[in-house]
Amino acid sequence: MKAARRIPLMKKMLAQFGIEEERVRLDWVSASEGDRFAQLVNEMTEEIRRLGPFSGNGGKADD
Amino acid sequence: MKKISVNPITRLEGHGKIEIFLDDSGEVVNSYLQIPELRGFEKFCEGRPVEELPRIVPRICGV
Amino acid sequence: MTKPKIALYWAAACGGCDVAVLDTNEKILDIANLADIVFWPVALDFKYHHVEEMADTSIDLCLFNGAVRNSEQEEIARLLRAKSKVMVAFGACACFGGIPALGNFTTRDEIFERVYIESPSSANENRTFPQTLTKVEEGELDLPEMFDTVMTLAQVVDVEYFIPGCPPPVDIILKVVDLFASGQLPPVGAIIASDKTLCDECERTKEEKKIARIYRPHQIIPDPNRCLLEQGIICCGPATRGGCGVRCVKANMPCRGCFGPPPGVIDQGAKLVSAIASIYQSDGQEDINRMLEDIVDPAGTFYRFGMADSMLKRKSLPQGERRA
Repeated sequence: MKAARRIPLMKKMLAQFGIEEERVRLDWVSASEGDRFAQLVNEMTEEIRRLGPFSGNGGKADD
Repeated sequence: MKKISVNPITRLEGHGKIEIFLDDSGEVVNSYLQIPELRGFEKFCEGRPVEELPRIVPRICGV
Repeated sequence: MTKPKIALYWAAACGGCDVAVLDTNEKILDIANLADIVFWPVALDFKYHHVEEMADTSIDLCLFNGAVRNSEQEEIARLLRAKSKVMVAFGACACFGGIPALGNFTTRDEIFERVYIESPSSANENRTFPQTLTKVEEGELDLPEMFDTVMTLAQVVDVEYFIPGCPPPVDIILKVVDLFASGQLPPVGAIIASDKTLCDECERTKEEKKIARIYRPHQIIPDPNRCLLEQGIICCGPATRGGCGVRCVKANMPCRGCFGPPPGVIDQGAKLVSAIASIYQSDGQEDINRMLEDIVDPAGTFYRFGMADSMLKRKSLPQGERRA
């Protein structure tokens, strides 16, 4: 249950960093929901592919 | 024309330099005081809760 | 025997660190007896060219305060690094970026726009901004280039020791002077403060780490003897290094993290998100929403002094606006 509180707070903070909301996702999947798990992972992969690589551009070393 | 740079100015709070231009006979033609530093409190205080500002703006000058 | 040489410099800072050195009161005379101060803009009249003329590694100890925000500060950091045997990041700005690194939530252009155009006291119809080079009738004037991203000292040059704090407390400054004088400086890379968290050193009564709601200062009069966090006031103590003497909390003010992350914590802000969200009591989405509403500015609170040193370092720049 801690994750249910941490992730929304983390997302609020990441928004202040200009990071797209779709890069972080919390979902609940039971061990018996194999298909749903695969579907969520595929969705996430597509979403990230659409967004492209993340570059924070912080400091000089990252460039 | 000769230029004398006083860089940095010292024994005061803050950053500054003085450029003095002299003519051929050594008389001062013009002088400029330049402030080479800006931190941007005007901008980055935006978005901070108002009750936090008494803990942020003292760092404009700590002398 | 010649005296060792000490240099002090301020980059993007407020001067409070230099005043902290003077707060040693009469002990400053011991420092002056112990060493020659060869560069200290706030107090002594030495210029950059004096430093340039010194031999490499001829300064024994350089206390560098302030973050690196423009090209001049970067140049002086490199210059002092070359001239100094031991480089110390002195204070929260040099160690973690400090308050100036809140500028990493914005960009140079946004700051210029706010300061030189939008500010109520500006009349600037021609949109004049600071230039790195300006031609005047008599010749040329130059200014350093302001960076988009504020950096810590260690992101620019090698640093031997870190003295955190905003400003560093006098007892730590005197301890460093003693260690330096007796030749007992710790291993390179040491952070000269406590190895515990602020909470470990705080004497307030701690009961159960559970909070039902977050209070902003105008909504509560805090009990001076109970843990501030347990009273619902955001306090950065759980993810902040101790050694400060618990100054703020003793004054009934919550910690804002100027001593940086404690040992074992890489990212101070992420740790605080984890710590505060995990002790918040919620029965469902409504409670979670209220927590999000009550924590008004998580990034600016949890990275108050540590933005430049955080994993993300700055607000992401839009594509196409990225520059080195």
